[in-house]
Amino acid sequence: MERPDLKQMLGRVLGPAEPEVGCDECFDMLDRYVELELAGADADAAFPGLRAHLAGCPACREEHESLRALVGEGG
Amino acid sequence: MSRATLPTVSTVTSATEHQLGDSAVPPLDEESREWLRCLRAEGSLKEDAVARLHALLLRAARFEVERRRATLPHLRGNDLDDIAHQAADDALVSVLRRLDDFRGASRFTTWVYKFALLEAAVKLRRRAWQGREIPLEPETWSLFSSVGLEPDEELEQSELLTTLQQAVAEVLTPHQRRVLVALALNGVPIDVLAERLGTTRGALYKTLHDARRKLRRHLDEEER
Repeated sequence: MERPDLKQMLGRVLGPAEPEVGCDECFDMLDRYVELELAGADADAAFPGLRAHLAGCPACREEHESLRALVGEGG
Repeated sequence: MSRATLPTVSTVTSATEHQLGDSAVPPLDEESREWLRCLRAEGSLKEDAVARLHALLLRAARFEVERRRATLPHLRGNDLDDIAHQAADDALVSVLRRLDDFRGASRFTTWVYKFALLEAAVKLRRRAWQGREIPLEPETWSLFSSVGLEPDEELEQSELLTTLQQAVAEVLTPHQRRVLVALALNGVPIDVLAERLGTTRGALYKTLHDARRKLRRHLDEEER
């Protein structure tokens, strides 16, 4: 079995260093954030703390990736 | 839906688009306006709109199921489609309940998709962990690899690991330790842990966030 990487583990344990929003606020912002991203606009400037949350929360990150993929393919 | 409204994990103070109020929100596009008009109507107009909305949500839920199919090899196509239907049903209830929350910041379809994707993702994570024990103790501290590092880097990482282990054991409350170990070390999905502990994703993430801050502060103090 491949041994887990220490750096990745540290990232998961310590999380993002920057201020971040919570899961509920992330959910509230996600639709607009994804549309700004897909339009090539500065979504991170519009929603500070969201990118950091996506880095720290695997579940919200997965849902962001799915929404981006679904809307991006014309959904 | 098991989501509860909770405060922001940490304060983000700059004036953001969502904090600026109506002036920063673009006017409703025509399609979104039409969705709202029909869903707020009575009779067959509303029934038709609800049916179209359910079809849209089912499409999004199936999209999520398809993305995660590989993580659920033991489930058959029928089981997966049942999950997609349940997710679409639950998302429909959430969307109709929260219809007044839609302010037109995005297209209506983008807004509703996120409900279906969330419901499907939560159900699939829970299904993947159904019947599995949730590990709440650190299982793998000694397993972490520093392969490929120079000897001095390896020593540094080994010291950091020791400090971190001590901090997790001594600085965190028992609840913070259990949550951090399960989520960050043992890879338990947050929705699965929330269900087992009878709490919400938002509340658990707040605990995780507080634990991380304590650990960061402790490590900074140790470095000085």
